Amino acid sequence: MSDTTTALPGPVAAPKKKNRLQQIVDVLWMPTLAVLTSFLIIGIVIWITSGSLETVFKAYNGMIRGALIKERGLSESLVATVPYIFLSLGVAVGFKTGLFNIGVEGQFYIGSVAAAFVGQAITGLPALIHLPLAILAGAAGGAIWAGIPGFLKAKTGAHEVITTIMMNYISFRLVELLVSGPLKDKHSTAVQTAPSQPSAWVWTLYSIPERLKDPLNALGVALFVAFIFYMIGRWLISSTTLKQRFVGARQQNLASLIFGGVIGLISFFVLPLLTSAWWPFQDKYDRLHIGLILAIVAAVVVWWLLWKTSLGFELRTVGANTNAARYAGINITRSIITSMAISGALAGIAGAIEVLGVSACHCLPMFFSSGYGFESIAIALMAKNDPFGILAAAFLWGAIRNGADLMELNSGVSKYIISLIQALALLFVSAPELLRTIWRIPASKGTEGEAVQSTRLGG
Amino acid sequence: MAPALQATGITKRFPGVLANDHVNFTLEKGEIHALLGENGAGKSTLMNILYGLYQPDEGEIAINGALTKIVSPHDAISQGIGMVHQHFMLIPPLTVTENIMLGQETTVESTRFLGEIAVLDRDKVAGRIRQLSREYGLEIDPEAVVADLTVGAQQRVEIVKALYRNADILILDEPTAVLTPQEADDLFITMRSLVKQGKSIIFITHKLREVFAVADRISVMRSGQMVGTVKPAEATQEMLAEMMVGRKVILQVDKEEAHPGQEVLKVEDLRVQDDRDHMVVDGVDLEVCSGEILGIAGVQGNGQTELTEALTGLRKTVSGKIYILGQETSHDNPRQITEEGCSHIPEDRHKHGLVLSFPVRDNLVLNTYYHAPFSEGPELDFATIEHEANELVHTFDVRTPSIETKAGSLSGGNQQKVIVARELSRPVKLLIASQPTRGLDVGSIEFIHRRIIEARDRGAAVLLISAELDEIMSLSDRIAVMYKGQILDILDAKTATREELGLLMAGVVKESANV
Repeated sequence: MSDTTTALPGPVAAPKKKNRLQQIVDVLWMPTLAVLTSFLIIGIVIWITSGSLETVFKAYNGMIRGALIKERGLSESLVATVPYIFLSLGVAVGFKTGLFNIGVEGQFYIGSVAAAFVGQAITGLPALIHLPLAILAGAAGGAIWAGIPGFLKAKTGAHEVITTIMMNYISFRLVELLVSGPLKDKHSTAVQTAPSQPSAWVWTLYSIPERLKDPLNALGVALFVAFIFYMIGRWLISSTTLKQRFVGARQQNLASLIFGGVIGLISFFVLPLLTSAWWPFQDKYDRLHIGLILAIVAAVVVWWLLWKTSLGFELRTVGANTNAARYAGINITRSIITSMAISGALAGIAGAIEVLGVSACHCLPMFFSSGYGFESIAIALMAKNDPFGILAAAFLWGAIRNGADLMELNSGVSKYIISLIQALALLFVSAPELLRTIWRIPASKGTEGEAVQSTRLGG
Repeated sequence: MAPALQATGITKRFPGVLANDHVNFTLEKGEIHALLGENGAGKSTLMNILYGLYQPDEGEIAINGALTKIVSPHDAISQGIGMVHQHFMLIPPLTVTENIMLGQETTVESTRFLGEIAVLDRDKVAGRIRQLSREYGLEIDPEAVVADLTVGAQQRVEIVKALYRNADILILDEPTAVLTPQEADDLFITMRSLVKQGKSIIFITHKLREVFAVADRISVMRSGQMVGTVKPAEATQEMLAEMMVGRKVILQVDKEEAHPGQEVLKVEDLRVQDDRDHMVVDGVDLEVCSGEILGIAGVQGNGQTELTEALTGLRKTVSGKIYILGQETSHDNPRQITEEGCSHIPEDRHKHGLVLSFPVRDNLVLNTYYHAPFSEGPELDFATIEHEANELVHTFDVRTPSIETKAGSLSGGNQQKVIVARELSRPVKLLIASQPTRGLDVGSIEFIHRRIIEARDRGAAVLLISAELDEIMSLSDRIAVMYKGQILDILDAKTATREELGLLMAGVVKESANV
């Protein structure tokens, strides 16, 4: 009785915090169940349509082997995961600002062509400069391509769904025009851009020991490592008792900077030696590339941007309540354009990495259709726009996509059935009530508590 | 005669909360029974139990003397209980008839063989609606589209909808919260005529004045318990307020004499258009000095909203000038005006004042997040923000489980306190408070009034815009009356009478003022 509303003096004690593991389980178990349920249901569909339970096992056996177990299976799944991550991060940034960027596919295209151009047209640069430059060109292309609908939305109110779809078509035709015309490789019979310089290639993991023999490359890697450990340092300081040791943001920053710098310096000397002595990726044909690492870093950066910066605060406020954002003095026009540009830049990076790292010719062929962009909208929805959720969902999509061929080969079940699995998984994640009904799960304590809270505090 | 409805020993527990603690409640046939209580007192829980949305953990319910169980809203309706929610459950593009028949469609006899796709018999239903409307004096046009109706008329549609489903017991949940004073009076007449025809009404409210106007009996709830039931003749406002809050409440605002200082806000011949390009602020001149409260009285929709929006940079001005401390701000954006030292408690807390999906913590820095100490470089400094939030939640008595709780799950009073805390937490030179206590409970109103006067006493210039004449009269030092986009007159609050203000609000200008 003592803890009813009116009797409370000031703020109520926060509810007991669950330990971190418990929290992770709480977040993950529903999506996991959603995925398993979709596999189960599609299994039943396959069973009914094929008339034999064996086909189901063959199909899923094929899929799992194709996606994870067979030679380079896991690698290829990850290769497909990379563009999904970048693109759905792009979609998520838009969503968080209340923008539905359907145009990531188009921005991906523009990013590809920009990177292909910078990759082949500039010669004589070291990889340390050329590769980042080519990726940045992709990002810039995507950012401009998405910035246009953003500008139109902010200035004229033209809805971004319409304009980004239109921009998609413009980009497809524009890229075809460029690839078959001014950018066409004169020395090749195939309609494609000229191959990019090796200095602009996104390294495969296999090639890393070779690459690191060049001290400039080692320097690049060392800088990257320093950046990663700087971030880790900051995370360590803010979430442990080290917080008391380093008081104030400036001191914490400095400490992390030193931490990152020292590890970067060590890696500059040690990594080339270490990798040439021992390296796990010895398969020449393995296409897995450093884009995966960039993608994971991108997820962390997007998370940081959205949740830890004042820019992210502005974007989220605009997305959650535009009127309140105006009241709070946020420049809505600028926020919309910024958000679209970031969204497009991420999509453009995906395009750049595909051209510079995955494409067999390290160039942009005429028909580069991927469908990655549209599926990424589903991935962002499935992950509820959470950058780390996107990592998991993107891998699921990549693995299913990669396993589909062997599934078809193994069981004769059409590989297009995977889109049904994906659609169902999305459905179950976005409508958890459906899942609860199927498995007769009572409303979880968390949600019930919330409902009660609103009744209680809402009178 | 058995009571229309009797609830005995109702107990409902939620994790960590006892929402209803052995509550007894009796509704006699043909009475209007007001249920009073602050937000969170357990009124809604009790009504949700009576309407079948919740099942009680203990206790029993009897209708007309017979024990029963109400398992769902559908069940409640079939047992003759109808509920009119605070937020209407109507579909705007449909007509009144279509809305009322929704879920219980009557079809044309000759087409019944078509089953689900039989033709709707709108005429028959419309006829029945007209009949009900005559019978109970509820004026509605069955053919009208709901979107075109006033809020008061929509409420009548909701009541007719309940009557159409043969409700004998009507639960009206805060029905006056959305109405103008005139519409509220009309509603009270309707309620009287309903009980005369044998219906019984449970009237949920937290406005003390209303219960005296209409109720036959008054029950007061507090902290999940029924505090008592009284007759209006035996009660006073002070006594009811004390029962609701659990301590003595000062209904009259105590304030010292104002000591006006330098001029802070100056408005010259301001003209502002609304969204439909009508000139709704049409040549307003105002001055507000530090240390005084200027109240703007007026019936809603006379340009107060647009005036406020223009002053705070949310709306473009057409002509005229606004000065804050001598600095012209006529074309400044909200951030520039905030940085001039202006705080703004907006009229619509859900639309402008808060981001409901954000935690209390973020809402407390909604317009200050971008500068030190809350931001350092590109990053937000969450340690400082959390510290500030905890401080404010404590000082402004915001009742929230934690600063991480979403603003949307707080009660209206606590939401408003979050806004007030934020706006008064920085040095205020000019406070623009628009409808600062609309829809709040007694305790919160008292609290917010005190804070506004404190701001005045610390030297802020306060512009108070309110549709509640009582609020204007008790807080203001000077009162301006706004009518059709113009300030008709500015009166001294000490000498102004309710009648005088009422006439001005209706646009009647005294001879002397005309000359």
